[in-house]
Formats: sequence, structure tokens, C-alpha cells
Amino acid sequence: MGKEMFNSIKLKFISLFILILFLLFLPYIFSSSFALTLFCKMGVLIIFSVAYNMLLGQTGLLSFGHAIYFGLAGYASIHILAAINNSYLPSLPLVLLPFVGAIVGLILGVSIGYLSTKRLGTAFAMISLGFCELITALTLIFVVFFNGEDGIQADRVTGNDLFGLTYGPQSEVYYLILFWCIITVLIMYLLTKTPFGRMCNAVRDNQQRAEFIGYNVRKIRWIAFSLSATFAGAAGSLHAINYEHIGFESVSLVQSGMVLFMAYIGGIGNFLGPILGAISLTYLDTMLSDVTEAWVLYYGVIFVLVIAFAPQGISGIILMHSPILRNNPALLKKLITPYSIFLVSILLLTIGFTSIVELIHSIKSNHETLKFFWLSFNNKNILIWLALGLIMTSGVIASRKSFGLVKEKWNEVMEEIKLSLIK
Amino acid sequence: MSLEVLVFIIFNGLLYGMFLFMLSSGLTLIFGMMGILNFAHASFFMIGAYLGYQISENINFWIALIFAPMLVGIMGAMIEKYGLRNIHKYGHIAELLFTFGLFYIIEEMVQLIWGKTPVPYKVPEILNFPLIEISGMSYPAYSMFRLVISLLIFLAIYRVLAKTKTGLIIKASLTNPNMVAALGHNVPRVFSNVFGFGCALAGLAGVLAGNVIGTEPSMALLLGPIVFVVVVTGGLGSIKGALVASIIIGLIQTLTISMEYDLNSLINYLGFQIDINSTINHFTSLTLSQLSPIVPYILLIIVLIARPRGLFGKRDV
Amino acid sequence: MKKIIFTLISFGCLIIFYACEKKETKGPIKIAAIEPLSGPYAAVGKDIIEGIIYSADVINQNGGVNGRMIEIIPMDNAMKAEKTTELLRKAIDDGIRFVTQGGGSSHALNIIKQLEKYNSRNPGKEILYLNNSAVTTSFTNKDCTFFHFRFDSNVDMKVAGLVSHMSKDNSVKKVYLFNQNYVYGQTFRETATRMINNKAPDIKIVGDELIQPFGKIQDFTPYVTKIKLSGADSVLTGNWGPDAFRFVNALKDAGVKVKLFGIYISQPAGMAAMEKNLLFNDVIVVKEFNPTNSKAPNWYKEYEAGHLDAVGYTPDADRFRFMLEMFKNAIEQTNSFEPLDIAYALEGMEGRSIDGGKVIMRKDDHQIHFDMQALLLVDKTDQSIIYRNQDFDMSYSNVGNIPVKDITLDTSCNMKRPK
Repeated sequence: MGKEMFNSIKLKFISLFILILFLLFLPYIFSSSFALTLFCKMGVLIIFSVAYNMLLGQTGLLSFGHAIYFGLAGYASIHILAAINNSYLPSLPLVLLPFVGAIVGLILGVSIGYLSTKRLGTAFAMISLGFCELITALTLIFVVFFNGEDGIQADRVTGNDLFGLTYGPQSEVYYLILFWCIITVLIMYLLTKTPFGRMCNAVRDNQQRAEFIGYNVRKIRWIAFSLSATFAGAAGSLHAINYEHIGFESVSLVQSGMVLFMAYIGGIGNFLGPILGAISLTYLDTMLSDVTEAWVLYYGVIFVLVIAFAPQGISGIILMHSPILRNNPALLKKLITPYSIFLVSILLLTIGFTSIVELIHSIKSNHETLKFFWLSFNNKNILIWLALGLIMTSGVIASRKSFGLVKEKWNEVMEEIKLSLIK
Repeated sequence: MSLEVLVFIIFNGLLYGMFLFMLSSGLTLIFGMMGILNFAHASFFMIGAYLGYQISENINFWIALIFAPMLVGIMGAMIEKYGLRNIHKYGHIAELLFTFGLFYIIEEMVQLIWGKTPVPYKVPEILNFPLIEISGMSYPAYSMFRLVISLLIFLAIYRVLAKTKTGLIIKASLTNPNMVAALGHNVPRVFSNVFGFGCALAGLAGVLAGNVIGTEPSMALLLGPIVFVVVVTGGLGSIKGALVASIIIGLIQTLTISMEYDLNSLINYLGFQIDINSTINHFTSLTLSQLSPIVPYILLIIVLIARPRGLFGKRDV
Repeated sequence: MKKIIFTLISFGCLIIFYACEKKETKGPIKIAAIEPLSGPYAAVGKDIIEGIIYSADVINQNGGVNGRMIEIIPMDNAMKAEKTTELLRKAIDDGIRFVTQGGGSSHALNIIKQLEKYNSRNPGKEILYLNNSAVTTSFTNKDCTFFHFRFDSNVDMKVAGLVSHMSKDNSVKKVYLFNQNYVYGQTFRETATRMINNKAPDIKIVGDELIQPFGKIQDFTPYVTKIKLSGADSVLTGNWGPDAFRFVNALKDAGVKVKLFGIYISQPAGMAAMEKNLLFNDVIVVKEFNPTNSKAPNWYKEYEAGHLDAVGYTPDADRFRFMLEMFKNAIEQTNSFEPLDIAYALEGMEGRSIDGGKVIMRKDDHQIHFDMQALLLVDKTDQSIIYRNQDFDMSYSNVGNIPVKDITLDTSCNMKRPK
């Protein structure tokens, strides 16, 4: 047993090492400034959503106002940057700026947390909603500090930083964010392994028992809340550095909803979940809006489908396969065929659905022809509508059928594993 | 403050409060009774407004007033039956996110069908005349009509829940579904009906308000949070609470809007002066009227911290 | 399985029948247009994009610019400032050298600041920013940069125009300021207060309101009551979108008669929500042109008819037209497609106006200057109708030409010009 565990830890370390190495060389593979901006955004949102999941997944507190700590820390950081630009403040190495954000997050977390962690469940969620709307309204009213709708601009190039970095090129910012991302995520991971992390889980699962053992549950919620706000603050600071701008959207309910989505779609039951969620949603958000005008619709449909059919999130689906992998990896082969049939039918459905939506869109915007993938359609042609309708209905039927097939095969595989374990 | 101003505050506050009540009465049922944090509630309101426009354009307003809410209600019941019911087992957060996704879908669908700009949804001619006049301000018959309808809604729901057998079954299935099912009632259908009815109320509010506040795709987004404030402050599941909370919010907001006091006037009263060009003047010169939008949220936070069951709730939120 | 195969076949047939119609492309001049195309502000972005695309099409139909076509590439920022930054970086990656944007000042400021850094760090690869509607005054004052050109009058100029018109109107004695509580509305209010005090001292400001912006307020009756009680005879407002149309409707519902002076009250995006309620009060807006000018030159009438065909209504803004025309002229003058040369050529350039005056890009701060028109909304006349084809049946009556000298203001811009 001991040797096995040692092996698995060794495997983890090796894969982590390879991952970091890969991340270090990423800017050489995708060197365009857009790709780098995207990676930077992902990095920032990874920190934010992992921090958020400390609260939601590990302590069981649903917050609608986590953007407050993210955004206000961002405002504080950008003010400091601007002060350095105008030489009101001595130059500070940029790499330390997230500390400032973290402190701001901590202070806010401790004070707002003091009020809101008195309650739990829906009351807590509603209090956080109230705070979020409150702060958003204030950002527009207090112009001196927030500069209203325009937000605040600053220049991140403040002179030579540590190691001669200037942070002018986006790739240098990428490394800064990568550094902070690895450090904070590691700390948050280690926190889950401490007795405190376990206590959080206990509070989430059964508050009465946790209280009975002698813990002050409110204090645990409060500490978890403050820590989560601290890391969110660090993320907000990095966000400000990345865009050299912060505006009231970063504090708003939309941003809070975004992080909730990331954590949930990725899977709140697993530490890796929010990371996957942040990466995939950021990618989706950026790419979809680039391709089509109706992207919000697709966005919504994807959310609804994921929540309806994969409530454990992306990481949940991946982890579902771990018992097979552990006991009898050969069985995975059995799943390949149903999976691929399922994917093909989903593809069919997607093609049918998206092209119909795009056709309607093209009618609405007075364009007769529509370029879709590599094809050009004329939306006046009734045959096109019929054909696409056909594709979509067959896609619906096919995906329902193949979903059944996947389920059937999955149950078969699971049965086999259970049998082999009994033997 | 003159008597005239006071009359205006009470009147305007009452009108605005009843508008809030109309909006949130459906959510009180859905959120308060079923515990579903329905973020798409305002979207159903929007669909109601658009359907109201479409039907009154093609047929007339009165038909729209009856059928648009019904259509919205059927839609809501369908969504509950085929969507939310399957998600219920994954917990409240999944339900919430589902409705969040729904919100996006509805917003885009509306844009696909009716376009991105507001539609010309008009107040019916027969009610488009000034009914009451108070020292130069007139109030159109249509807003009185809305006031009456929202009062009727309140009375109807209150009676159904408190006095009838249906109300008893609804309340029982929410607290003890297994027992009610054992007695031979179809509990899932009760849930569908409650959800559908809540949505229909939102749709009705949409039909009645869409021609006043303007029917456009962003109308749902802006109403989302305030509805939750009303429901939670009033107390979960309490229709009486929703009414009182709406009116309180309406009155306080109208009151603050008409107050031009700022901190500077207090400071001056105490005998100090603040430099107009100083930074601090930006804060002290904010008038109460400018701060009126944050009033509901402060109210929400205070109520939840001091009394988590809300004004009239029977259990904690 | 049969069904899947069947659909696959039907899809295959589609591909065969409607194979790709490839457009020939002779290296068009690409202009990235970053505007909100989804979310609550989509209507604003849609109007801008459609106007610009149509103006570009007109130029292309007449042979393009030095043999090249203008291609407008719409990009959707969903009204999120950070998305604007991303899209700008993407446009730069794609080799696009010209950017236009107008919806939302925060986005404009983002672009200005990003480009300021980018252009100084990448000489020879500069990007030119054609600002089509972002009106914050500071962009052509303290935040001015060489590669930014504004084709719309700024807030101060608009307010100057309004105040100049108000001072000539004898019926205006007591004015109520009604604005949105964010940077734009606050600037509007400050400038209006200052200018009324300086230029029209006999007009008294009887009220000053800043409201929560962006359609958050559903019921304007309390504000209307305040205006009524203040005894104001006119209201000066910078409001736009729902904050404008709900206010107009509330005034009508309450039967409160005032003169409304504004900029964006009669935008196409809000018209459907007000319709005839707009005529209850005298509504006067200032614009860069008179859309219902019956004496407009023939070339404009053709342009207008084409706009009606392509977009569905007659134009509400003229700036997209002269922006692209001046852009075209600048390229033809210099015979170069380099943003640096074009920028130098744009300085001091004159454009065509339909109301007789001149359109001039001021060299000092890259701010456009033109005569403004004060327009009163009236019921349909036999002349042309605003937003024809949309059944609003209203028209503008020109109640005053505001000469450019009345709105020419000093600038604090101290521009660094690259070599």
C-alpha cells in the first residue's frame, strides 16, 4: 500500500512538472497578443473561480457577490498603479501588487463576512446579492474613486521591475499571472488538506454535528469567507494588471454570476473542477462571440444542457471513469463506440440547430445570403429550411437514442466492474 | 414639507409599490413555496409584455390581457415539467443556474423574434385619458386600472391560499410532499401548476407594464434583483409580506427621491464648512435623492441580518 | 441508425447543391467596428454598425478607395470594456490597421489608451482610431492622442449648442437639469450649469437631478412630480435609451407641459416606445444635420434612398457618412494606406455637409466641427419623415441653425505628433 501511494504521488509530481513546463513554453507556441490575452484571462479567472469554490464547493456557501472583492481589489490596484505612473508613490515591483489586492480582499472579506456569515443558505446568498447591487450602484455614484462608467486606466509599465521585466509585452504579464496562478492555486489546494479545510467540509455537510464536536461553525464560515475573498482580491489585482483598466462591470452581478457558472460547470465537487470551468468558459465566451452574433443563445443552451445532463460538471464526467481506469482499463474500449455515435449525433443536432438560428438571424438583419461554415445559403429558399429542419429533428432523435445506448453500455461496464470486485 | 408633497409621495409610492408587487407576486409563490431561485422570473415578465404587444396588435388588448398570461403560464409549466423537475434532485444551485441559462435563452429568443429595438406597445385608447388630477399632476386611467388589477391579484391569491382546499393542498405538498402523495394527490402536478401560475402572474405584470415602461429585450435584466428584494424582505411564501414590502420600498424610494438633503447641509447646520473643491465634497454633496437606488438593497441586508425570516415569513429564508 | 444515415445523405446533397460561393477579394481595407451587438445595448450597436456598413457600401459601389474596397468587420464587445480590449488586440493580430467604435465612452477610453501604448511601442505598425460616437470631452482635451479622430461633437459642444439655442428662446426662464448619474451625465450637468451661468444668466436653474442610469428606474412619476413642483418651464437632459423614453412617457402621462431640450431623445432605438407621446411636449434636439431637410443636395437624397433600402429606415446620423468620406479623401490625397499618412491628411480636412455649412476636422485636437441644427419634433409634414418606413409619422422642423463659432471651444490638448 505504502509503495503504491508513493508511486501515485510520484506520478502526480511528474505530471505537474510536465504541465508547468508546458505552460512555461506556451507563449512560444501561441505568440499572438490575442492568444496571450486569452491565456492571461484564463489564469486570472482560474484563481478567481478556485477561490470562489473554497466558499461554494468546500464550505457550501452560495455567494452572488464575490465580484465585489475581485473588483474592488482591482480598483485599489489600479489606483496604486496610477499613483506610481504619476509618481505620487515610489515604484513598487509589479509582482507584489497582487499582495495589495489580497489585503484589500481580506479587509473587505472580514468586514462583509462578519455581517453575512451570521446566516447561511438562501439568506446568505441574498445578503451577498444585496451587497453586490449596493456596491455596483455606488461605483457609479462615487465618481472620485471609481470614475463611474469609464472606469480607471493606468500604465503597467512602471520602470524596471525585478529581473529586468518591464511588463510592456503581453508575454511578460503572462509569466507574472502564471507565477501567481501556480502559487495561489497551490496554497488553496494545500488548504483543503489542512484540518481547517476538513472542518469546512464538515460545516458544509452537517452543521449540527460539526457544532456538536465543538467547533464554532460561524467562525469557520467567516474564516473561509475571508480567505476566499483574499484570493479573489489577488485575482482582481492581476485582472487590473492584465487589462490596465478596471470598470464597474468587474464588480457587478454579471461578473459574480460568471464565476458561479465557471465553478459549477467545471464541477464544484472537485478541486480541479473550477479550473476546468474557468478555462472552458473563457474559451467559449471569447470564441463564440467571435463567430456569431447569436452567441448568447448558444451560451445559454450549452449551460442548460450541461446542468440538465451533467450536473457534476466537466470534472465530474471525467472522474466518473476513474473506477474503470483503476480496476479494468480494458473495459474503456467498450465505451468508445457508443461515445462516438453519441458525439456524431450531437454534432448533427448542433449543425441543424445553429444553422436554423443563423438563418433566422440573417432574415432579421436584412441579409439574403448567409455564410455558414464554408457554405453560402439563401434564406429565401424554402428547401434550405426544410433540409435544416430535417437535420435538426434527426439530430434530436439520434442523440436521444444514442444517449440511451451510452447509458446502457455504461451500466454494463459498471456491472462488470462490480462483479470483478466481488470476485 | 408641504402637504402637497406628502400627498404626492404617498400616491407615487403606492403606485410604484403596487407595480413591484405585481412583478414579484409570482416569484413569492415560486421562490417562497418551492424554494426555486428563479432568476428567469423577469424573463417571463418580458415574454408577457411581448405577447401582450403581439396579441393586442393583431386582436386587441383585452384578449391579450387574458391569453398572454395564460400562454406564459403554460410555457412556465412546461419548463417546470420537462426541465426543472429533472434538475430538482441536484439541488437549489443547479436549479438556479438552469434558470440563469433560461434567462439568456429567453433574452436571445425575444431578440430573434421581435428584434433588438423596443416594439410600439401602446396603452389601450379607452384607458388613455387623465383620470385624477392633483394640483397640476394628472394620473391616467390606465395606472388606476393597473392598481386595481394588482389589488385583485393580491386578494385572489390570499383567498386561494388561505381559504380554499386547493390552497391547503399546495401548502401541504410543499411542506410534506410524501404524505400528500400518499393521500392520492399528484404532487408533481401541483408543483407544475404553482410554477406555471407564478409565471402567468409575471406574464400578466408584463402585459400591464410593458406599454408603460417600454417593451424591449433588456427589460428583464434590469428587473431581476429588485424582485428578489421584495420577496425576501416580505418573507418567503408570504403574499401579504410581498405586498407590504413592495409598498414600503415604493414609499421609501419615492420619499428619498424628493429629498434634496445632503451631508453638507447637516455640516453647515452644525456650523462647519466644506470646501467645494475638496475631494470630500464629492461624498458630502451627494443628496439623498441620488442615493435612492441603493435603498432597497440596504433594506434587504438589514432585514436579513436582523430578521432572516423577513417581515411576515413563517420560517427562516 | 437508418435515420442517421439518411440525414448524413441529405446533408451531403446540401453540400453538392450549394457549394461554396467564394467572394473575390482584392485585399480590402479592413476597418474593425467594435460595438455591442448582443446584450442590453445591442440596439445601439446595431444602428451604428448598419449605418457604417451602408456608408462603406456606397463608397465601394462608386469604385472604392484607390481601387480597394472598404470592409467593415463588426466585432461584438457585449458592452464589456475588457472585451473591447481583447477584440482590439485580436484586430491588431489580424493585421487590421483601422478601428472604429462609438457606443460607450469607457470602451473608447480603453481603445485610446491601448493604442497610445501600442502605437508608441510599434512605430510603423500604427493603428488609427476613428471615433464615431463616443462623446466624452476629455478625449479631445487631456486624453487626446494623435491617432484618435472624433467625428461626433463632444458633450461640451453639444451642451454649448443647446444653451446657445436656449438663450435665444424667450420662453425659457426656469430650467430643470435632468441627467444620468455617471460620467457622461455628470459632465453634461456640470457643463450645462457653467454655460447657463455664463452665457444665459437670465435663465434660472430651478432643479438639478442625477438619476440612476441605464434603465434601472422603472417609474419616473416621482421625478416628474418634482419637476412640476419646481415650476420649471423647460428641462435640459442628456438622457438616452430607456431613461429618455420612460421620462418622456411619464411627462405625458402626468400631463406636465415643459419644453424638453436634449441630444438623444429622438434616437431610433427608443422611438417605438414613445411614438406620439413625443409630441405632447415641445421636444428640441440638436444634431449634426437635419434628417428631414427638404433642401438637401441631390447626392444626399440618393444616399438617403439607398439607406432606406439597405437598412430599413432613413439615417438618423450623418457622421458615419462624412467619417468614411473623409477617410477616403485622406487616402486619395496621400495615395497611401498607412495610418500615419492618413492621420496627417485628416488633420484640418473638410467634409461635405447637407445643410450648407462646413464639416472640419480641427487640427489641434482632432475634434470635428460643424454647424449644428436645433430641431423640433413635429407631426408628419409633407416633407420627409424621420426614420421613414418605420411608421413613426413625425418630422423635424428646423428651429435654428447653431453656427460653428457658437460651439467652438478651447482645447487643452497638447498633442505629440510622430514623425
